[in-house]
Amino acid sequence: MERGESSNMNRRTFLKLSALTGAAVGLHQITPPSSVVSVSHPPRKKHGAFEEKWVPTSCLGCSGRCAIKVRVVNGRAVKIVGNPFSLLSDGKVCPRAHVGLQILYDPERIGSPLKRSNREKGRGIDPQWSPISWDQALKEIKDRLRSLREIHKPHQLLMLHGLNSKSTEDMLFRFGEAFGTPNIVSGDGLDGEAEKTGNWMADGHHEFSAYDFDRTQYLLLFGADLLESGRPLSRLLRKWGKIRRERPSRVKIVMVHPRYSVTSAKSDEWIPIFPGTEGTLAMGMAYVILQEKLYDKAFIERWTAGFENYKKVVFRFPLEQVSTITGIPSYTIQRLAREFAMTKPAIAIGGKGAYALPEGSYHGYAIRCLNGLVGSIDIPGGLLYQEKPNYKTIPPVAEDQIAKKGRKRPLIQLGGSERFPFARSVTNQVPESILKDIPYSIEMAIGFNCNFMMTAPSTKRWEEAMKKVPFYIHLSPFVSEMALYADILLPTTTYLEEWGYEHSSPGAGFAEMRIKQPVVQPYGEAKSSTDILLMLAKRLGGSVEKSFTSLGEGHEGFVKLRTSSLMDWKGLLEKGVWVGPEYQYKKYDRIFNTPSKRFEFSSGNLETLIAKSGKRGERQREDRHRYDAVRFLGEKESYPFVLHPYQPLMAFEHGSQNYPWAQEIYLPLQGTGWDTPVEINSETARRLGIREGDEIWVESPFSKIKARAKCSEGLQPEVIAIPSGQGHYAYGRWQKGIGVNPNELIGVDFDGISGQASYFNTRVKVYKA
Amino acid sequence: MESAVRLPILIQGSKSTRPEEEKMPKWAMVIDLDKCTGCQACIVACKAENNVPHGSPEEQRRRRDIYWNKIIAVTRGRYPKVQTELIPMPCMQCDHPPCVTVCPARATYRREDGIVIQNYRRCIGCKYCMVACPYGARSFNFRKQDEMEYHRPDLPPDPGSREVWPFPVRTQGVVEKCTFCFHRIDRGIREGKRIGVEVLPACVEACPSCAMAFGDLDDPQSPVSIAFGSRTAFRLREELKTNPKVIYLPR
Repeated sequence: MERGESSNMNRRTFLKLSALTGAAVGLHQITPPSSVVSVSHPPRKKHGAFEEKWVPTSCLGCSGRCAIKVRVVNGRAVKIVGNPFSLLSDGKVCPRAHVGLQILYDPERIGSPLKRSNREKGRGIDPQWSPISWDQALKEIKDRLRSLREIHKPHQLLMLHGLNSKSTEDMLFRFGEAFGTPNIVSGDGLDGEAEKTGNWMADGHHEFSAYDFDRTQYLLLFGADLLESGRPLSRLLRKWGKIRRERPSRVKIVMVHPRYSVTSAKSDEWIPIFPGTEGTLAMGMAYVILQEKLYDKAFIERWTAGFENYKKVVFRFPLEQVSTITGIPSYTIQRLAREFAMTKPAIAIGGKGAYALPEGSYHGYAIRCLNGLVGSIDIPGGLLYQEKPNYKTIPPVAEDQIAKKGRKRPLIQLGGSERFPFARSVTNQVPESILKDIPYSIEMAIGFNCNFMMTAPSTKRWEEAMKKVPFYIHLSPFVSEMALYADILLPTTTYLEEWGYEHSSPGAGFAEMRIKQPVVQPYGEAKSSTDILLMLAKRLGGSVEKSFTSLGEGHEGFVKLRTSSLMDWKGLLEKGVWVGPEYQYKKYDRIFNTPSKRFEFSSGNLETLIAKSGKRGERQREDRHRYDAVRFLGEKESYPFVLHPYQPLMAFEHGSQNYPWAQEIYLPLQGTGWDTPVEINSETARRLGIREGDEIWVESPFSKIKARAKCSEGLQPEVIAIPSGQGHYAYGRWQKGIGVNPNELIGVDFDGISGQASYFNTRVKVYKA
Repeated sequence: MESAVRLPILIQGSKSTRPEEEKMPKWAMVIDLDKCTGCQACIVACKAENNVPHGSPEEQRRRRDIYWNKIIAVTRGRYPKVQTELIPMPCMQCDHPPCVTVCPARATYRREDGIVIQNYRRCIGCKYCMVACPYGARSFNFRKQDEMEYHRPDLPPDPGSREVWPFPVRTQGVVEKCTFCFHRIDRGIREGKRIGVEVLPACVEACPSCAMAFGDLDDPQSPVSIAFGSRTAFRLREELKTNPKVIYLPR
């Protein structure tokens, strides 16, 4: 709290200072305007009675979960702005936050529980929904759940969750634990498991990195589309402006990427690279840094382990070889390496394109080690370790014997099994497991706001799997693709109608928590996921009910209880944000969770796991540092291009895209919306006789889709890029039938260590339709 | 008929040299293309603020969708030496606006503070101004009257209550354009607030990278003047001598 005020003070002083000294010193910047909202005055009561209020709450357009303020007039939310108390992004929000109004007032939301009458399931089959009462819906679900526990098979319940509030996540984990199922699957395995695992190999933190942009001097991006799919996006957008022109020195940003993205366009340099070789480039750069002895000797001597071993590995990748693999001239690699090592502090950041690959964890590890090499670990202007708010601990669940036994069963996503000995979340394994009953059959599934049917590679398998699940319950505000397979569809509230607490995905370093409170009345009979879980627990009775009795009154009570350790309730409701203590740098004596308690260039964590897992691990030992060739799906002869699916800024992550404000400006670089053109290098297109706007087929060994061609100068010649997020077929006048979904083309492949689904290693061919 | 937008009535072309007029501010906007991230928050914020109707695939195909502010992409070069500039394009609020010159109905005019305004009640929908505008900043409203709210169920049900934040009711068959959010400025002045610091147009307020500055160009202390003086600046199509008041700072 005090922090927020002092920051405001700083901003004011800064404003004054720059006004005074602007001309003399020649500050090359625009001073950030005050975040005071222009209409904070009491409204004039001229045209009848109206009620106006600003409600601080939290966004859920992505896992950034920014603090927002919503203007409510006569019970309608009419405007969303950032909350100035949030220091994560200096009170700024990304464009997705503004679209929240259209998420809330989506004309095709569902207002009451729906039950399917058509027993047949599948794409294009009408479920023939009939509305039922909440009582009836919950009774049916409860009966099913209870019978699973009665036959001592609670593990046959599968819980899938997409993008939910932190409070809802906590609640559903608790429900799973109390009920007795170990099968709670998130979308993590589709998203950032490889990056997290790479980080964990180096320093023991299985988490995304936070970055101190305020003080950095150089940014090297390995395909990190910070300005589109980066998270927390609002922070990245704000800091981008800051590091460019609000400091005495302008930060240089270099983007290495197969595609000329918005981030590439806004960087100082764009260096096209052959897809999937970002990790190799990191090794090549390390080679230069080691050879020219540009590394941070003090840090490496005092706080790292395995350096000699690392040297040996790096010297297996001489510059010439790296240049051939990546397609980047060796003098460019040399120059980048020198710039990166000699501009201090510098940060190297990888993107999904560098990680969502069969050897993704190693690529992540290579990029992490590059940061370690120049000593950018936990220093001002380097990588930070995200702190989390200390929510009040709640009493442990009241597990009974059934639950205890169920929880001990192996996971259906196979994390920790023979197949994925080191993985924690293998989301894309779920459909195979369901279809082949590995390791047992799934009798019932509950989906919380997830839409893996659109977002996971090889979408057809998910359709088959969900068809097979005997009883599926879906919770969501709208009929998403996955909801089409539900036996009972429960309408949930959007993030503007419910209680909760949130904190960002790693970004700022210091902890920050935001309250989420209803700004308007829920639509129809919609209820929040947490309230639904509480009602189910109550109906189930026994130990499940007991696990939820001491958590306060309902959803609001739960949030109040959990946040009571941070801030008083009234202050929190008014301010909306709690900011943790100032970040402490250089915590080297306690920050590394590795066997040597140091930053490890040769991963002790991985060694330990390999030693534990026996034979299967041995293969991993051999696979290690495989940076010379990416394992692609499809033969190069018949499928000459590599598919590059990418997420534009306006793609939402909660399973719907039915928002015209987002749809019409979907692709700013192409100047179009409402479509997913297939980007193809213009020279390649000319060779293939494809012209701008032609209908073309994109075919992988697994599937094919038809779309319009877009010739581009900003694409590596061997790459075909298609934006993801479109191709919805379930509902929505503003999304149904618009564009195609590149995930349909992608084959099933995993990163051997983390279980991350591979998105960027499918080969395709294109031809005129 | 109820007026479409409550426009302040101003006398056009008045050449009086009253002392108040000397104090008339000169509203301008500076957009730093180096800080701009191309995120389009300005576009969405404008749509939300001004009730600008969203388009549809069909309208976009026929280029009939309405934007008061739009990011355009200008690409130069060939692979691998390619350079794309993403440029936010609000109305340039020219000092010598060609649109005003050509308007046969005197529906568009320049306020004394330099903001170019469209009077929907006078507009006859001839689109001369759209042809004349060198920046493509103007849009024609093809929408039918019965779609007035354009699927904006978030708007307060009682139009009277919109006074507090004037979501303008739309009018079919007229040309419309960016107003520099004059409603915010006018209210700000009435309430004695500092324009450019406390009161900003919706796009400037929403800009997450703080790439946009707004204020009085005649006031050397205003954020917009400081930004303008910070480094080389340029305006679009300078050779036409339209004197735009949207100023860009290059990369």
